[in-house]
Amino acid sequence: MSATWDAIIIGGGHNGLVTAAYLARAGKKVLVLERRHLVGGAAVTEEIFPGFKFSVFSYVVSLLRPEIIRDLDLPRHGLEILPLESTVTPLDNGDYLAAWGDPDKTRREIARHSLRDAEAMTEFGRLMHHMAQAVKPILGMIPPDPTSLSPRELTGLLRFGRHFRDLGAERFHALYKLMTMSSADYLDEWFETDALKATKSASGIIGTFLGPRSPGTAYVLLHHYMGEIDGSFRAWGFAKGGTGAISESIAGAARRFGAEIRTEAAVSKILVRRGGTSGVVLENGEELRARTVVSSLDPHRTFLQLVGDDHLPDEFVSDIRRYKFRGSSGKVNLALGELPNFTCLPGMGPHLRGAVSISPSIDYLERAYDDAKYGEFSRSPYMDIIIPSMIDPGMAPPGKHVMSIFVQYAPYNVTGGWTDAKRDAFGDAVVDTLTRYAPNLKQAILHRQVVTPADIERTTGLTEGNIFQGELSLHQLFFLRPAPSWAQYRTPIRRLYQCGAGTHPGGGIMGASGRLAALRILGDGR
Amino acid sequence: MTRELIIIGGGINGLVTATYLAKAGVKVLLLEARDVLGGLSGSADQMPGYRCEVGGCDVGWLLPDIAAELQLDAAGLELVSPQACVCSPQEGGRALTLWADPARSAEEISRFSPEDAHRWPEFTAQVARFAAVLEAIYAVAPPHVPDPNGADIGTLLKLGLKLRRLGKREMVEFLRVAPMSVAEWLDDWFKSDALKGALAAGGITRIFQGPRGAGTAFVFLHHQVGRPAGAVRGAHYVRGGPGALAAILANVAKGYGADIRTTAPVREIVVRDGKAIGVALETGEHLAAHQVVSSADPRRTFARMVDAGQLDPEFLRAVRNIKCRGAVATVHLAMSELPSFAGVSEEALGGAITIAPSLDYLEHAYDDAKYGAVSRRPYLEARIPTLLDPSLAPAGKHLVTVQLQYAPFHLRPGGWDERARSEVSDLVVETLSAYAPNVRGSVVGRHVTTPKDLEDRYGLTEGHAYHGELTLDQILFMRPVAGWARYRTPIEGLYLCGAGTHPGGGLAGAAGRNAAREMLKERRA
Repeated sequence: MSATWDAIIIGGGHNGLVTAAYLARAGKKVLVLERRHLVGGAAVTEEIFPGFKFSVFSYVVSLLRPEIIRDLDLPRHGLEILPLESTVTPLDNGDYLAAWGDPDKTRREIARHSLRDAEAMTEFGRLMHHMAQAVKPILGMIPPDPTSLSPRELTGLLRFGRHFRDLGAERFHALYKLMTMSSADYLDEWFETDALKATKSASGIIGTFLGPRSPGTAYVLLHHYMGEIDGSFRAWGFAKGGTGAISESIAGAARRFGAEIRTEAAVSKILVRRGGTSGVVLENGEELRARTVVSSLDPHRTFLQLVGDDHLPDEFVSDIRRYKFRGSSGKVNLALGELPNFTCLPGMGPHLRGAVSISPSIDYLERAYDDAKYGEFSRSPYMDIIIPSMIDPGMAPPGKHVMSIFVQYAPYNVTGGWTDAKRDAFGDAVVDTLTRYAPNLKQAILHRQVVTPADIERTTGLTEGNIFQGELSLHQLFFLRPAPSWAQYRTPIRRLYQCGAGTHPGGGIMGASGRLAALRILGDGR
Repeated sequence: MTRELIIIGGGINGLVTATYLAKAGVKVLLLEARDVLGGLSGSADQMPGYRCEVGGCDVGWLLPDIAAELQLDAAGLELVSPQACVCSPQEGGRALTLWADPARSAEEISRFSPEDAHRWPEFTAQVARFAAVLEAIYAVAPPHVPDPNGADIGTLLKLGLKLRRLGKREMVEFLRVAPMSVAEWLDDWFKSDALKGALAAGGITRIFQGPRGAGTAFVFLHHQVGRPAGAVRGAHYVRGGPGALAAILANVAKGYGADIRTTAPVREIVVRDGKAIGVALETGEHLAAHQVVSSADPRRTFARMVDAGQLDPEFLRAVRNIKCRGAVATVHLAMSELPSFAGVSEEALGGAITIAPSLDYLEHAYDDAKYGAVSRRPYLEARIPTLLDPSLAPAGKHLVTVQLQYAPFHLRPGGWDERARSEVSDLVVETLSAYAPNVRGSVVGRHVTTPKDLEDRYGLTEGHAYHGELTLDQILFMRPVAGWARYRTPIEGLYLCGAGTHPGGGLAGAAGRNAAREMLKERRA
């Protein structure tokens, strides 16, 4: 039976959609299969409570690759990023630390806490900018295979080596330190204000099962700096209509290029014959034939569930089995009758249009991690909070608000498992902790949605609820992601490709994996 | 008169550098602050009748080339590695002992997990292969990265080839494992907590990280360099103790014409116009020299011995940022009898006795230290040198040397006062007694060395015996600081040769040898 489709994409998350759009743009006949009733995967907007819309999981964007926005002409399909300009960290002494959109205003604010830090800020911002510049090309690079001696790979390695040489020794060494140090140690070399170090290192622990004092977190810090523009603290954006709107715009582009997108079409099996794929089987038994199959699911789902060990080399299977997920974060989404009133900045103010970070000190974050290490959620967790309805009134009924709270740590393997009681206890810990800083919060709550790693896994399919499809730890990056010699979007199964965040460069609403996979597929097609 | 070359510090690395240079005909003067040579290897007689050494009795791995090139065997060097590597007593009267012979270890492990026992030979074989790669890397000066020069290309190719010889898969596995946490790595291999704890202890040695910290797998491999294949962790002993090694090196050095002065503490490295021209002693005496080599740790060398005005602020900042967070206290126990652990033979006590029953035990121990406290339930590493050399104690008596981790240098609150130090020795006795009840009653003398003591008495910044932690950001071409990993310094004529340089601590003389070879290359050029 001949193939009906050039390519079938499993999973309508943002990476799957990006791959679909690029393949369709190149004239391929493409079908996207999404298990849920809506596309987006972890980047979805849903009206959880009547009138209240939530970016249920992923809630901010900063890393979405500009070339993708350009190539797919996303603004034309409704993409509109509204800036989240400030980050305010309430302190336990009733004061606060703020970072504003305007770098000078930020420096003045930091000077309130430490002149030395205010001065260091300029140089630090410059270095981070350079580091981001140094890493960005790597985000757009298909990882070379260091074990292969094929001319193609060797030139790839050479290009990689040259990239570092051209950085010059000083920047290379700075980058090497970022890759290997803990964010706490790294920031200690620059700053003295505890809350400043904590708030910066907080972005280094997001999505990992590590504390700010764990080596390797400084790199993730940079990963979250990548979106930074003109030396401001961290320029995150909020998509008008929620993160679902990003997925919708990519889907729109894909459709315009002729891709077909089918929702409520769960794949149960990837067909493998004589070491090559010939299509997929849906849960309703329907068989769909394609010349190429691309999975945007994480490596566990793709290989251990949809393909199956018996079709794969043992070494590869054991590599995929030991690939680490360890989901560590949760979400609490609140429908509010009134705005939170922060003790440190009472009443209405620009801070409510930005992020509020509950990260008063390095020790606070480290203790939150200690709880998780031994199988409990953090009693006093780290939180990254935004109020989307302040930026995009369409998200909530007039006069009312939605609050999105990203929470760490909530270990997937919580002692006793994620029962309903455990979920509520987790939600209470979050609300209680936040109420310490915004006393009116508790009575302002109309509805509350608590999302645990187990919920993330159940709803989106992300194994162990890891938001990056696998930890971004040193031994799971670049040519090791997801497995040695299979980091180039190909798989041991002929014509089966992977395009999810479980491949280089991984997590965040970046789309880079999806784009690179598409380029690799088109390259192989030639 | 202007001497040709002065070496600061008579530790093993300083002595090795001195010997190599003297052997090559350089006129060397070595200055040691204390009245004995050997640095931490120096003997510390605090308990009458007992001879113990501050740094413990393990000399670390001595690069075979050093013994061969300096003919140390002829000078009386006798290396001893006991059959027992690690003995790890467990709660409930069991103990896990790992032996140099993998088959014998597997037998022991099978009592804890048959599955783990089955994987043991495969694991030790991989460890040996990885350690061999490190050994090759450790015997040369780190190439300039990212922009290697002509000579480096050769070195890099040699090392690259060594790596490739591992085979395609093992090569990538090495690159994958090195930056991992020892906990995650061991979880990939084993089930038994007892086994994982006993092994992970080797991954946190003298580093301010728990077993879940990235890079601790590298630390584990670092300490595997030079172990016979199949033996994991364990001890490198020298007959007569580390002090004996120092004495042997000193004799050989003198034989080659090196001049050695003890009780000659250096106050300052005298620099003029960016060039080292000699040293000033605490006594005020000035000694002129064309070249100066410091085996003191880099932070001490530059932040204390060199006039800051002579240094580029960026370089000085980098040096001040070297992480030297001392975390180990050493407690010597004079004992009237051997500690008796349930079900442990005397032979099993010949190596390291490790109190590290599980990964979580070690992680909890680190948690306390993170917030500035001594671990309530510390990781202990005990050795009994009198089993090898009874002459170290009165007849029938024993010396037990215990290293306690974590005992943070920056102790909160109050710091290292008398109370804190006596609490540490009590903690050691109590912890050991939980596994060997006769310890409590048979201790006849104690001697405590805290990280603070190491800084005050032995000049080790923040009491770090390795002159800087072996974290991923402080090894290879980053040790001691980026751009200066080749034993040279921004000061013309001033060199480093201590554990603060590549390949670091826990290895006897490797840094000293590399430094000497670099300097001799320079002279030939």
